[in-house]
Amino acid sequence: MRLLLQFLFITSIIFTSMITCFAKREGNMEDYKILPYPIHQYKMDNGLNVVTVPFDSPGLAAFYIVVRVGSRNEVEKGVTGFAHFFEHMMFRGTDKYPREKYNEVLKLIGAGANANTSNDRTIYHMTGNAEELEKMFDLEADRFKNLNYTEHDFKVEAGAVKGEYTKNYASPYSQLYEKMLNTAFEKHTYKHTTMGFFEDVVDMPNQFEYSKEFFKRYYRPEYSTIVVVGDVIPENVNSLAEKYFGDWKHGNYEVDVPEEPKQTETKKSHLQNGSIPPYLNLSFKGPAFSDTEIDMPALDVLSTILFSENSELFKKLVIEEQKTRFLSGGAGDSRDPNLISIQASFYKKEDMQYVKDEIIKAIENVKANGVDEKLLSETKSNLKYSYAMGIDNPSTIANSICHYITLTNDPESLNKLYALYDNVTVDYIKMVAEKYFITTGLTIATISPDAEGGVN
Amino acid sequence: MKALILGLIMISFSLAQELVELKLSNSNKVVVKLMFRNGSICDPSGKEGLTNLTTNLITQGGTGELSVSDIQNKIYPMAASYSSNVDKEVSVFTFSVHVDWLDEFYPILKGLILNPSFDESDFQRVKANQQNYVDQVIRASSDEEYSKMVLEDFLFRGTNYQHMVEGKTESVKSITLDDVKNHYKKFFTKNNLMIGITGNYPDEFLKKLNEDMANLPDVKPYIPESPKIEMPKGINVEIVSKDGAFGSAIFTGFPIEITRSKDEFAALMVANSYLGEHRKSYGQLYQKIRELRSMNYGDYSYIEWYENGGGNMVPPSGVPRSSNYFSLWIRPVQIAKQLNVQYEELKDIKLGHALFALRMAIREVDKLLNKGISQEDFEATRTFLKSYMKLYISTPAEQLGYLIDSKFYERENYIKEMDELLSKLTREDVNNAVKKYLQVENMYIVIVTGKGETEVLANALKNNEPSPMSYSNLVKENLPADILEEDEVVANYKLNVNTVKIVNSENTFK
Repeated sequence: MRLLLQFLFITSIIFTSMITCFAKREGNMEDYKILPYPIHQYKMDNGLNVVTVPFDSPGLAAFYIVVRVGSRNEVEKGVTGFAHFFEHMMFRGTDKYPREKYNEVLKLIGAGANANTSNDRTIYHMTGNAEELEKMFDLEADRFKNLNYTEHDFKVEAGAVKGEYTKNYASPYSQLYEKMLNTAFEKHTYKHTTMGFFEDVVDMPNQFEYSKEFFKRYYRPEYSTIVVVGDVIPENVNSLAEKYFGDWKHGNYEVDVPEEPKQTETKKSHLQNGSIPPYLNLSFKGPAFSDTEIDMPALDVLSTILFSENSELFKKLVIEEQKTRFLSGGAGDSRDPNLISIQASFYKKEDMQYVKDEIIKAIENVKANGVDEKLLSETKSNLKYSYAMGIDNPSTIANSICHYITLTNDPESLNKLYALYDNVTVDYIKMVAEKYFITTGLTIATISPDAEGGVN
Repeated sequence: MKALILGLIMISFSLAQELVELKLSNSNKVVVKLMFRNGSICDPSGKEGLTNLTTNLITQGGTGELSVSDIQNKIYPMAASYSSNVDKEVSVFTFSVHVDWLDEFYPILKGLILNPSFDESDFQRVKANQQNYVDQVIRASSDEEYSKMVLEDFLFRGTNYQHMVEGKTESVKSITLDDVKNHYKKFFTKNNLMIGITGNYPDEFLKKLNEDMANLPDVKPYIPESPKIEMPKGINVEIVSKDGAFGSAIFTGFPIEITRSKDEFAALMVANSYLGEHRKSYGQLYQKIRELRSMNYGDYSYIEWYENGGGNMVPPSGVPRSSNYFSLWIRPVQIAKQLNVQYEELKDIKLGHALFALRMAIREVDKLLNKGISQEDFEATRTFLKSYMKLYISTPAEQLGYLIDSKFYERENYIKEMDELLSKLTREDVNNAVKKYLQVENMYIVIVTGKGETEVLANALKNNEPSPMSYSNLVKENLPADILEEDEVVANYKLNVNTVKIVNSENTFK
């Protein structure tokens, strides 16, 4: 028992000091870091940034390359989905490592390797034996500089993308998401999903020449950052980057993404489908990500307060009244202004209007009365502990750093954002509620067995 | 820089429950896993889904002292989390908390496991979601996952492995709150519990956890035997006809009498990885079906259950099984209706790509049986696995999970032991294991496809009709001759078809 008491005493001291760290940092952003490991940056002459985070993962390293190109860059007509398709083409080989050879070498490295694309970026990643880091550099530098595929390979790969669309399209939620974006946006390329419109996916085999242009434009050092996390030494990573990427040529293309005109009225999008429970998505036009403006951190805090499992709305609608099966919501980080989305799934379609009204009522209540100070402080704690708990392996840390590089081209945006959370006040919360949760910025998307959505 | 792992210490307490401990002094959190040997095989007949509903009600309900909303209030600033997962033979609860909050969080963990509230209102909510899953979600959200569940229903028919862990429409309906309370008392006991813990926790905490968990009921649960599955006669196909399906999703399988507990598993693992490593482009299936012919998003093979293959890149822990099967996963391929409208030159075809893809996948197994793996491929695949398997345990929670699973298979450390077994392996070992466990004459096949495709596909299968590959002109014009020649062989590859049945989507799992 004595030992137990000692233990309680010791942990309570640690606990107090950590809370001080997480909850009481005002106006002292300079030294606040949510990531407890230093981020080493090395800028090469050709514009390529090399980011290294040594992390305690014996023998293991995550090697990531983030290219700041995604479906946002698909500005020309008929090429929606192309950034993602191009990600597939990056696995089709070079003269030095033709496809079969590339696969063979990758297999011998024994790494978990893949790639993925979203609105604003494409990420190529390998996680594996840290001793194989040089081979990873060799493989990646070769294809980033010397990708070379035949027109036949290009056409063949398009079928795999169609297969991916086919698999995803089985979900009514995917179908609604595609419709909803197409409704919510008029001009900006966020109007289409990363997968693209089906007619463009079917037409992909005809875009061989465009694919060459795409590679020339975007697969350049100024668009890319190398991120290495794990059992590595920054100086070694930098030397390897110079050795393998030093002669990569800088480009000069800048994309002109159309600006989205201001929305002036509530929009609607509906999918008639009785095979799943009725579903509601309320999407408000939100801000672009920024690591200096308070809007996005304030929205993160506000949406956690309003829509997390601890929120009053969740407790009322999901736990007590059992009107919805789940409720969630939040603002997506992106380079240009994007959507703040709230989702709910229902037991009965008749409850959709009631739930929508309750959500709006909760938002209006924040506009009028703000939020409780204690709740605000607990929410900041929640956001920071959530992050701290998640970063327990090299891949997660590398992914997280890539996320912020995507948004601002600066990995330190991660630390800056979490420092900004401390500056969120009740007034800022009210400000963002007033500014973004407005009916003229809203798109209502629904799934139900009826021909019309029926939610106003 | 190197981890200050204090080492894997197996402590033997004088309590009934087993313990797996992995102390990591540099970690900022503590993860506790509680594995109960029960699983969906313990669901009473007519109450299928009961174990899953019981664990969900524990994690989505309150304790004797706190309602679910009270718990949310308490854990909110901690960002602590917990969840449960049920498979055929085990239920696993996982609790994660930052070390700063360990002490504040512990009473919630203890309350949920030892004194769950089993509130009527929580029961109705949790049950309604499980009901919805078996009624609608499984059929409507992913044709791939759906085909996999129908395959299990087909392969394990008549056994306690047959039903989904979530149960069936009628069985979930019939579950009462009293059923849950009784099930909890009978099957969540100190005698079928394994405690796992990792992270930076004080020894006193572990002592307390052990002592408290010893207060679980001291009854000896009756855990049914896992089933021994007979090899089917010939190839038996169920085509699930689904309104509006956009492609054909395929899963095939047949029982194999091997698990991680046998050393031969390492040899079979090499063969399987060569044939169709999950979500990797190196496998023969992936190369032939996706990479060279562009038919779908990917094709893989398995020698054990793989949880949520659509979401997981590496196999998660917490789903160990004693009854096993070999399977092929062919991701959705094009149906005729879609090809008709996409390409003028294919506007008249009646049969989509399902049968061709199926023949190609089975033929690749056949080739492995006949030719074996080459020395070069054997070496490369073994090298890959020895490194790749380490990624299975890249987080503390998964390190712990794999150690717990090791105990299920009567091993100490599965990943470490497999590494040693792989080192000793020869090409002959692999080829012998292939011959011993794999075959292509007898299996179950499930194809979820559009209503328009079902009859044509069923007839083609029944009559073993040729199924020529229908490429668009865009792809066909430059296909190498060797691919076209192989296509011809594949299109005429005979399958040992025994039965073919069409099932309407609404009638699956009945």
